[in-house]
Amino acid sequence: MKPADVALNFGTPSGSPRTSSDFEELNYPHHHTATSNSPTGSLGWTAVPRREEELPLPHYMSEDTARRRVPRAPAVDGGETFVAQDEKHPMDYDVYDDGGKDVYAKMKAARGPVGSGRLRRPPAPPPTTVGELIQQNLEHIPPIIYTLLACWTRFHKIGKSGNVIWDEAHFGKFGSHYLKREFYFDVHPPLGKMLVGLAGLLSGYDGSFDFKSGEAYPEHVPYTAMRVIMATFGVAMVPLGWYTAVELGMSWRACHLVALMVLFDVAWLCISRFILLDSMLLFFTFTTVFCLSKFHNQQYHSFSFDWWMWLAMTGISIGCVTSVKWVGLFVTALVGLYTIEDLWDKFGDLKMPVRDQIRHWGARIGCLIVLPILVYMASFKLHFLILNHSGPGDAQMSSLFQANLVGNDFASNPLDVAFGSKVTLKNMGWGGGLLHSHVQTYPVGSNQQQVTCYHYKDENNDWYITPRWGEPEPDAEGPIRFLQDGDVIRLRHAATTRNLHSHPIPAPVTKLNHEVSCYGNLTIGDEHDYWVVEVVDDIKRGKKNNVDKIHSLTTRLRFRHQVLGCYLRAANAILPQWGFKQVEVSCEKENNPGDVHTYWNVESHWNDRLPRGNTKFYRSPFLRDFWHLNVAMMTSNNALIPDPDKEDILASKPLDWPFLRLGLRMCGWGDNQTKYYLLGTPVIWWAGTTSLVVSLLVLAVYLIRMQRRYADMEPREWDHFIYVGKIAFFGWFLHYFPFMIMGRVTYVHHYLPTLYFSVLMFAHLVDHFVLTSKRFSEKTKWIVFGALSFTIFACFWWFRGLAFGMDGPINEHWGLRWRRSWNIYND
Amino acid sequence: MSGVQDVRQRNKGKGINRDASGPSSAVDYDDHNVAYLPSRSYIESFLNTEEASAAVVAILTIIAFFTRFYKINHPDQVVFDEVHFGKFASYYIRREYYFDVHPPLAKLLFGLAGWFVGYDGHFDFENIGDSYTENHVPYVGLRALPAILGSLTVPIVYAIMKECGYSTIIAAFSAIIILFDNAHVAQSRLILLDATLIFFLSLTMYSYVRFKKLRYQEFSPQWWGWLLATGTFMACTWASKVNGILTVVAVGVAVLIDLWDILDYKKGHSMQYFWKHFIARAAGLIALPLVIYLSVFWVHLAILSNTGPGDAFMSPSFQETLRGNELLMKSHEIRYYDTVTIKHKDTQVYLHSHPERYPLKYDDGRISSQGQQVTGYGHEDSNNQWQIIPTKALPETGRGRIVRHEDVIQLLHVNTGTVLMTHDVASPLMATNEEFTTWPKDDHSRYNDTLFHLRLSDAAPGEAWKSKSGHFRLIHVPTKVAMWSHPTQLPDWAFKQQEINGNKNANEKGAVWYVNEIVDSQDPDLKAKLEEVEMKEPKRLNFFKKFGELQLLMLQHNAGLTASHPYASGPINWPFLLSGISFWTQNEGQKQIYLIGNIIGWWASVGGICIYIGILGADLLARRRGLEPIPDDVRNRLWNSTGFFIIVWAVHYFPFYLMSRQLFIHHYLPSHVASALVAGSVLSFVLSETINTPVSAWGPSVKPRPTTYADHGVKAPVMVAVFAIAMFSLYLFISPLTYGTPGLTGEQVNARRLLSSWTLHFAAKESGNI
Repeated sequence: MKPADVALNFGTPSGSPRTSSDFEELNYPHHHTATSNSPTGSLGWTAVPRREEELPLPHYMSEDTARRRVPRAPAVDGGETFVAQDEKHPMDYDVYDDGGKDVYAKMKAARGPVGSGRLRRPPAPPPTTVGELIQQNLEHIPPIIYTLLACWTRFHKIGKSGNVIWDEAHFGKFGSHYLKREFYFDVHPPLGKMLVGLAGLLSGYDGSFDFKSGEAYPEHVPYTAMRVIMATFGVAMVPLGWYTAVELGMSWRACHLVALMVLFDVAWLCISRFILLDSMLLFFTFTTVFCLSKFHNQQYHSFSFDWWMWLAMTGISIGCVTSVKWVGLFVTALVGLYTIEDLWDKFGDLKMPVRDQIRHWGARIGCLIVLPILVYMASFKLHFLILNHSGPGDAQMSSLFQANLVGNDFASNPLDVAFGSKVTLKNMGWGGGLLHSHVQTYPVGSNQQQVTCYHYKDENNDWYITPRWGEPEPDAEGPIRFLQDGDVIRLRHAATTRNLHSHPIPAPVTKLNHEVSCYGNLTIGDEHDYWVVEVVDDIKRGKKNNVDKIHSLTTRLRFRHQVLGCYLRAANAILPQWGFKQVEVSCEKENNPGDVHTYWNVESHWNDRLPRGNTKFYRSPFLRDFWHLNVAMMTSNNALIPDPDKEDILASKPLDWPFLRLGLRMCGWGDNQTKYYLLGTPVIWWAGTTSLVVSLLVLAVYLIRMQRRYADMEPREWDHFIYVGKIAFFGWFLHYFPFMIMGRVTYVHHYLPTLYFSVLMFAHLVDHFVLTSKRFSEKTKWIVFGALSFTIFACFWWFRGLAFGMDGPINEHWGLRWRRSWNIYND
Repeated sequence: MSGVQDVRQRNKGKGINRDASGPSSAVDYDDHNVAYLPSRSYIESFLNTEEASAAVVAILTIIAFFTRFYKINHPDQVVFDEVHFGKFASYYIRREYYFDVHPPLAKLLFGLAGWFVGYDGHFDFENIGDSYTENHVPYVGLRALPAILGSLTVPIVYAIMKECGYSTIIAAFSAIIILFDNAHVAQSRLILLDATLIFFLSLTMYSYVRFKKLRYQEFSPQWWGWLLATGTFMACTWASKVNGILTVVAVGVAVLIDLWDILDYKKGHSMQYFWKHFIARAAGLIALPLVIYLSVFWVHLAILSNTGPGDAFMSPSFQETLRGNELLMKSHEIRYYDTVTIKHKDTQVYLHSHPERYPLKYDDGRISSQGQQVTGYGHEDSNNQWQIIPTKALPETGRGRIVRHEDVIQLLHVNTGTVLMTHDVASPLMATNEEFTTWPKDDHSRYNDTLFHLRLSDAAPGEAWKSKSGHFRLIHVPTKVAMWSHPTQLPDWAFKQQEINGNKNANEKGAVWYVNEIVDSQDPDLKAKLEEVEMKEPKRLNFFKKFGELQLLMLQHNAGLTASHPYASGPINWPFLLSGISFWTQNEGQKQIYLIGNIIGWWASVGGICIYIGILGADLLARRRGLEPIPDDVRNRLWNSTGFFIIVWAVHYFPFYLMSRQLFIHHYLPSHVASALVAGSVLSFVLSETINTPVSAWGPSVKPRPTTYADHGVKAPVMVAVFAIAMFSLYLFISPLTYGTPGLTGEQVNARRLLSSWTLHFAAKESGNI
């Protein structure tokens, strides 16, 4: 073959672009055959994404209060921040008296003490004329315009690339599984993927496409419609950003800044336009912050209807965001910190009756802990209900669960296990897999053949139950010898004929246990191949005493090594790359009869001489399945560590994100392909990160000045400055820092939820220093605001091609590489 | 419980009874007139006299020396990390340059100790278990140094507690936790750095406490003295071991809190006053330590003036400052048409080629170009020779023929007459990298693929390429990949030689090469030069440059210590003593040294920390509800004095959670000392309602305050005595593991395996051998 034919195309992998699947999928040896998918079933469900947050509520403040953060008695230099429509309000009202001397004064009784957040305004009187109605709702006009603009940016040319872009390969496929109702396994919780499935259902997709990375969509896949539905979540981010800023009590210009940044960030735009989970993750992150700020503004109206509603909405939102990706736990932590601080304040309130204290605690526990857990579990319940057919993820689950899937043949397995049977053995610990061996050997210890626990079905999981050396092999004609408690057996690996073996050599990961390997062949072996079968109990028949013969699926067994006295165990310890990141199997010296990781059951069972069974299986309880699946997800997630031998050009380090050191090619980079590059709008990212650093410096300066008794702000101003700053800073920190210590491989899109908080911080600081400052004239504020808005827009316009798709040779798109580290061009 | 009742009763009156009338009695907090207090029990009054205190500390010190020096000559073999630190002592004596991740002070002291006992540095400390007696190494002298420092740590711990205003018996309690701790004993008896580190750490804490006590006599000579002492000892801690930097952080945190208080408006100080304090601390705790730290390195570099095993870590310009260094001796400018051998810097293999070709198809199904193999080979061979071919016109003679930075060259493999090339084909082992091969020199069809850009490291434009010192990267002109190698063997078809391929990231560490030797040259002068071997004077280099380079390398290598070790353990295991380290074993007699602490002391310490957090947590909650269960002065003592110990503990402990390098339980020992102090003050709090106050020296700005005394009654000495006996018994019980003698039978080993997670050797059969 000529060298040219085997060329490695470095700059432009035009063939099949790599997706993060190289990492996100579980590794297994090449010789394993994948299980086939059989499309069956249809879909029926009722989950509807919540949208309440977007609905403008009738008692929303009018625009003037939004910008009334630090209104002071007569403006010093004409720098009053109010505009035309509040001529109703006299200019001399005071911040502590925000009812003002106006028509609303009679409602004043409803007002509580003034704290941070949006200033409260009493509900408006019912409109009597259309003019009044419009007047009262003028404040909603900007968000409506922004939403329309967002529709344009999100939907514009959304179907331009007819290929499977980046992780659409995963999430589109998972959506298909819902439509086909086949059980699959993935490291992310199911809510987001169910919504993808729903999007497919709504757009009339039948689930038949397998979403190969980079492949063109066939005619019958309505990918544009699916993308539009996903992008709708991205559209909703913009009004959410606006209203959150309003609720956080920012001035109207700052609200505009937040909305503009959310609208014009290219990375958020780009990630929302494909069939990915990120738009939903971002949406629910935004709703969580929104509900939290809404709830905060109810703080002096404890136990009112609104208070309960927004607390509950926060809880539901947390549940949703966590059910999309576990990253949602970070925003949960933000809500947790907020709540702890809130309760700490309440705890110090000596005037509050104990009964109210308890009610406060109870309300938080109920709405912020129990409710999210219920939402999370409900998403799993739905997941199990929809996926009731056997599919590629079966082997991750317990045998009983699988037996209840449509299309599974466990029911027809012979019931009683006998010598000579071919079986697969399932570990019964949480997240346990099938006992497995393959021809690869241990590079450490004995260097014998590896034994692992594997989560996919293949023939390397098959073992024969054979008697001891010297005893006659099971006679095909003679009497059947059934397996019983206390029998000593050899387990022969069907594919390689080696025997399951253990010896006093430390196991590769759990060094205190003995290594388990496969050794010998049909004739070679020794007494280290002997395992004593110990029955624990039977799920159907109960106690050990009732178990005469060992049944497949229901009897729980343990295997004791006869010579060493150790127990066969698999406990989610991951082998390194040489073991394909599968789970280590070892032999534990201590005898812990209660350790479920030493329990095994016979899963598949083949024996021609035995009658085929026909059993009604016990249902696997939901909680058990739920927990089992979560442990399995955790184990697989921990296995997604970067492989030092494999250079992944897509992966990036957390340090690369805040200043946008790297972007990400989302698809093939050939000249005739439509190319998408995941990169933020640089000014937004840089400004956000800078503002975080500045915020810390400013805080230090203010604290030092306070220590010296300089009063820079009134108490309410200070409360407000600290409150918004805390939400933004801790939100950012909690979404960023964990990635630094996480072992798993990280990509630039992991920063996208984090970015929101840096955007809030930037708007907050601009608000604090310029837009609500008394030092600047109205004109200056207009100039600053205008310049910032224009820069954001101009920068977006410059980079819009990254998200809308670029055609033709990439090097002809001029001026995109602002940093040398961006691999946007081929060089 | 009438006894307790009595104590409280007595305490009540005390503050009022003993109104201190003048400054003199306020200064003496543990003075003799205490003895005549009618309300104090006789035993306690007696114990708190100076004589009794001196007696206690003398006894503790004597026992400390005895425990640390007992059978210090056993084993007469290299134990655990003595492999490293003993070796470094030898290098100091031989004045040969070595490289290590730790700063040099502690190792310098070992060198000094070795020189003092007349050791000539001949022994190399190659392997654990090498015999000292057979090699005539005065190892007892070397081991005596940490043993002395480790013993002295005990009275210092006592003194810290005493200075903080705790009673003799409480101070003794803290000291006993360190005194009878098997881990501290084991660590101090061997040639290891930790004893020095802990010694200086405790001195730092002691000086800081003394300094803080003089806060009402600011800028007095004593105040300055203790401030500078703090800075000095802090620098010594830092210079002893790399984790001493945490001590700097701990003191830094304490100073910041202190300054924050001075800044407080309520204190009524002016800004000028604040800046005076700030500058004093900056001078004493930043400038002075930096000078000391630098001086230690200066001494280090001044002593190590000869070439040694550490050369290869350093940059060429650094190496040329070492006497007898190869670079200094054998570095020559390279000219076109010279024949050279090229070595890979990281893995020290030669760039090699041989007539065998890449197989058409690899095991994983990928396909090669079937070109001639280019590999990395570890041994000298004529197939390692390459000739440098110019790509531009050259003058006949003169300096124009020298190869320079940024030149484009070809490399001709002399034996096969082919030129080095790379192209867009995946390398045998890495699909992401380009294959390196060669091409017949007369076939110009692939001329462009044989061009390489020579990029010297840290070179100025036009700098000449030199053998040995001229580290370079070879960048392929058309595809921009760099010639790169990694320690992975090719399969049998390439005779298990090392893979060389083209890496897209030219900044990778593995892309650095150098010319090992000029085998043949056209230049007659050079030929002559190559023959002669003269002794060149080392070049000079600015100390700060050398220091900067060394410091950076230390940091890099420290972070790079990530290889797994069977006895490495995570920080969460340490306070609870869940695992130890096997230092040394000897099958004959079943002897072993296993680093493990005294479980009573460790659990008491960690319990003390838990109780402390519990007390403060409960106090915070109570205050939040408007209750004040703890009197203000007792509370202040808990916050300020014990708080300082807690800071030291936390700062020396929690950063390890963020480190990805291999961690061992001995990294917890500094924190363990701090936790022993915490345990002492918590015990004092538990036993007494009051505290000894005031402890700080009186100053002109302070109003005289009443003197109060902690009253622990008789139960304190009894409790501490019981504790000491328990500690001592357990210490004796575990001591065979600490001293490596006497040998133990399997059953005895099993008995000493107090926690199932301890992985001792020679255990009896039922639990199996590890």
